[in-house]
Amino acid sequence: MRRNTRLALVATTAAALTASACSGGFEESSGAQQNTGKAGLTILIGSSGDAETNAVKEAAKAWADKSGNTAEVVVASDLNQQLGQGFAGGNPPDVFYADAGRIGDLAKAGNLFAYGDQVSSAGFLDSLAQTFTYDGKLQCAPKDFSTLGLVINTDLWSKAGLTDADIPKDWAGLEAVSKKLTSGDVTGLVISGEWDRIGVFAKQAGGWIVSEDGKTATADTPEMKAGLDEAQKLLKSGSMKYAKQVDAGWGGEALGKGKAAMTIEGNWIRGALSKDFPDVKTKVVELPAGPAGNGTLLFSNCWGVAAKSKNQAAAVDLVKAMIATDQQMAFAKAFGVMPSTTEGAEKFAKEYADDAAFAAGGEYGQGPVNIPGFDPVKAAFNSNLEQLASKDTKAVLADLQKNTEAALSGQ
Amino acid sequence: MTRRAAGWKLFGGYAVLLLFAAIYLYPFLIQIATSFKTDAQASSDPLALVPNPFDVTTWQRIFGLTEDSPVPIVRWLTNSVFITIVVTAARVFFDSLAGYALSRLRFRGRGFLFAAVLAVMSVPGVALLIPKFLMVTYLGIYDTYAAMILPLVVDAAGVFIMKQFFDSVPVSVEEAARIDGAGVFRTFWSVVLPMAKPALITLTILSFQGSWNEFTHFLVTTQDADHKTLVTGLASLASGELGAGSQFPLKMGAALLTTIPVAILFFCFQRYFVRGANEGGVKG
Amino acid sequence: MATIDGSRRASGGIRGREAIAGWVFTAPMILILGVFLFIPVLMALYVSMTTWNGNGSPFAGGQNAEFVGLDNYSALFSRDGLTRDNFMQSLGNNFWYVLFVVPLQTATAFFLALIVSNRFLKGKSFFRTAFYFPSVTSSIAISVVFLFLFQNSGAVNAILAFFGINGPAWFSDSRGLFHIALGKVGVDNPGWAQAEVLGRSLWAWSSGPSVAMCVVIGLAIWTTTGTFMLLFIAALQDLPVEVDEAAMLDGVSPWQKLRLVTLPMIKPTLFLVITLGLIGTWQVFDQIYVMGKGAPAGTTLTPAYLSYQESFRSLKYGTGAAMAFIVFVIIVLLTWFQRWLMREDRGTSRRTRRAAAVAVGMQQGKQAGGPS
Repeated sequence: MRRNTRLALVATTAAALTASACSGGFEESSGAQQNTGKAGLTILIGSSGDAETNAVKEAAKAWADKSGNTAEVVVASDLNQQLGQGFAGGNPPDVFYADAGRIGDLAKAGNLFAYGDQVSSAGFLDSLAQTFTYDGKLQCAPKDFSTLGLVINTDLWSKAGLTDADIPKDWAGLEAVSKKLTSGDVTGLVISGEWDRIGVFAKQAGGWIVSEDGKTATADTPEMKAGLDEAQKLLKSGSMKYAKQVDAGWGGEALGKGKAAMTIEGNWIRGALSKDFPDVKTKVVELPAGPAGNGTLLFSNCWGVAAKSKNQAAAVDLVKAMIATDQQMAFAKAFGVMPSTTEGAEKFAKEYADDAAFAAGGEYGQGPVNIPGFDPVKAAFNSNLEQLASKDTKAVLADLQKNTEAALSGQ
Repeated sequence: MTRRAAGWKLFGGYAVLLLFAAIYLYPFLIQIATSFKTDAQASSDPLALVPNPFDVTTWQRIFGLTEDSPVPIVRWLTNSVFITIVVTAARVFFDSLAGYALSRLRFRGRGFLFAAVLAVMSVPGVALLIPKFLMVTYLGIYDTYAAMILPLVVDAAGVFIMKQFFDSVPVSVEEAARIDGAGVFRTFWSVVLPMAKPALITLTILSFQGSWNEFTHFLVTTQDADHKTLVTGLASLASGELGAGSQFPLKMGAALLTTIPVAILFFCFQRYFVRGANEGGVKG
Repeated sequence: MATIDGSRRASGGIRGREAIAGWVFTAPMILILGVFLFIPVLMALYVSMTTWNGNGSPFAGGQNAEFVGLDNYSALFSRDGLTRDNFMQSLGNNFWYVLFVVPLQTATAFFLALIVSNRFLKGKSFFRTAFYFPSVTSSIAISVVFLFLFQNSGAVNAILAFFGINGPAWFSDSRGLFHIALGKVGVDNPGWAQAEVLGRSLWAWSSGPSVAMCVVIGLAIWTTTGTFMLLFIAALQDLPVEVDEAAMLDGVSPWQKLRLVTLPMIKPTLFLVITLGLIGTWQVFDQIYVMGKGAPAGTTLTPAYLSYQESFRSLKYGTGAAMAFIVFVIIVLLTWFQRWLMREDRGTSRRTRRAAAVAVGMQQGKQAGGPS
């Protein structure tokens, strides 16, 4: 009986292995057959809130009515994960938000339909076009962008006896006002403890993780060190704290709850503050310049079109409608992002003078690193940054250099 | 041992027990209390077991009675209820069928099947995340209710419980039915099953608890927001994926909703839970 | 009675029908467990030997799913880089987690069982309910509650402040317990601890669980002591009262009675609880997902969670699957080791060992909360 049992087990295993060797439900990775006629598009977005969701849905509906197709907008709860699983399942959305930092991963895995040449006439801002170019091709159309600015709680500012003249224009100025604003429960400057905020210092010192063409790792340089050292200096002096240290989820929450007098955040803070902390009065100014001049970080998504989509022509048509200046200005009004074209950006700066500081950042902003496989490198770097106050910046940067080089070499 | 020493010992014993009981029960009480606090009070006064003021906004938000419904908790609840009911009913039926067959029916390969069941039971959950995703994608049912329900419809542990129980039932009753000419299924359905009530109840409770609290299976087989259950929804809410800010009363309210059904079941059917836990013990 | 012919026919009929019924009854089980557990594990085994990135079929080979044999496995141990660093850190974290959780939960469960089983105790049912209740609730719901309680200005720190202790920033503190202790006596990253084992310095390996990990440890103990307490209560109730009374008559002190009489008699349950503890602690996932996904600084990263993250977020399914199978092997080895110890010690009967093995599988099924 025993021997029969074992034999049976082996036989079953062998049979099972053979059975599963057929490809089954996994889609082939060859190009998808294109549909003709009416298209039904699926659009996957990562929304910042109801305002954004409704705005996109309206825009999609307008296009659908005009073009005679249908468009369904789906809001993702975890965009990257859902995209990943959608690609694996062979049934990705036709159009989706693609974060600048993931362009390399997506392009390398062959998930993107690079239609950049079809929209290049739109006149995108240089920094944006560069962020979304991989392998020499513009992979997708930038949909909008946000930059980081210095957001100041005007009440606390005037209470500390500061005026417009004291708005910091350089690092020394920033250190001085942060110190002045730190008293009692309030910390002068509170930011989220991650590279997506701390990076501004490095940029202001003239450094960045990779070179402009994205082919060399430049993490371990004196400029990057200068930037990290400045952040470390502020942390050690106590005038800058991380949001977690004051029990806030992000800089905006710290500012809203009155735990911070200033924070470094992006356009989205307007909507969040007006919804959750409507009584807090704020003012946004450009970040102070560092040794190498102005510097800020730029965040952007683009309208990615899936390589496996069966409605690529319709998808590109939808994107063209979405990036039209009027549509982008409507988005700007709804949820505060800035248009991605030069024409749109200019119009924005004129209409929304309050956000001029954010708009100015478009000139000298640095987009995210978009090399494939950078996510874990960034996660490890963020781990180190969480304890920046007690680390040796040279060692941290050496680690970053090593990991970035590994990612660049394709590991 | 003198009377006084015994008295002190008893007092000490009770004190320790009460302290532990407080530690074990306090988190649940705080859950309830916080769901009735405002956001501000939850941050400023986290210890208090009595909300002041008593605020039902969170519950209104949860059930969609205010204009801003931030999270579709009712949808999650519906999904959880639907899936749990289907899976529990299916498990009770199929597990008892299989358990009976493995215990009572004689057929070639029975020993092999039972060994296979034991083998499958010993695979730790951690090794099953990716396999489940692969199979569900292979079958083309990724992100559907089928993917959420089908794999859970039979569980090896349940089959084992039923087999163990049927092993302990005397054969005489069945033999009597057989001689009377009843078919196998008839014997099973009308004669043996009614005798298995305690085991069935235990199985029902364990299945309910297992499918209601299930997390990783739904995590890897679905992604659409419409397919979220209370548990997966709560997890994405708590890990910060659905909007900013630490809205703890909302999270506590959702956590409470997740806990209540199992709690009610637990208090009503305690001894079956205890029996279920002891089925894992080294008993006969 | 029927004729000989008739009875032979009848019995053949019954046997035949039984066999068919047997297969029909077990068909759903075979189908579901086979399709959704057995075959997938084999599929995953194959994927662990490829570099599948989620695109197209993992069985098609080619650029998206190159077959690399055991390269994924060896890379996790020998290739210098982030993946190995993360994996080693997760192994280290889980090791400390197991080291703290298993003894503490076993001891607490036993201690509570002893008190609750006391013949003179009133309100047994209430206490048993109170201690067992956390075990039946969803691990996600509990984790969310603990997230709330252990905030920087949350309930736990408020209680500590009442005693004059300044509580740490629980979820942001990545310092290891042993590092903190050594730091107090002036030892901090000394030269002799710089030797690297599998890519991590000895100093890093000996950090102990981080403060954030301690919260997860506390959560685990709080959740599982109930179940194990029930097992101990059942075992204690099975103890023959005569042995107890004989010991008391002999004038043995309570402590001696515990050590020399009670403990030896519940050894099987003790070993069962420890085995279940070992199996459960190497799979901790849900709590990590909710409480930070590895933060701060990767000190709450566990192999189970890392396997998920590597596959579904970094889209390196091959590496993720390899990690999962390595953990599988660790658990199997530990279980065999436990069983070997038990056999050595007691010369237990095959039936008892079989029952114990089954019990282990059952509890695993319940802990995983899934079909198996």
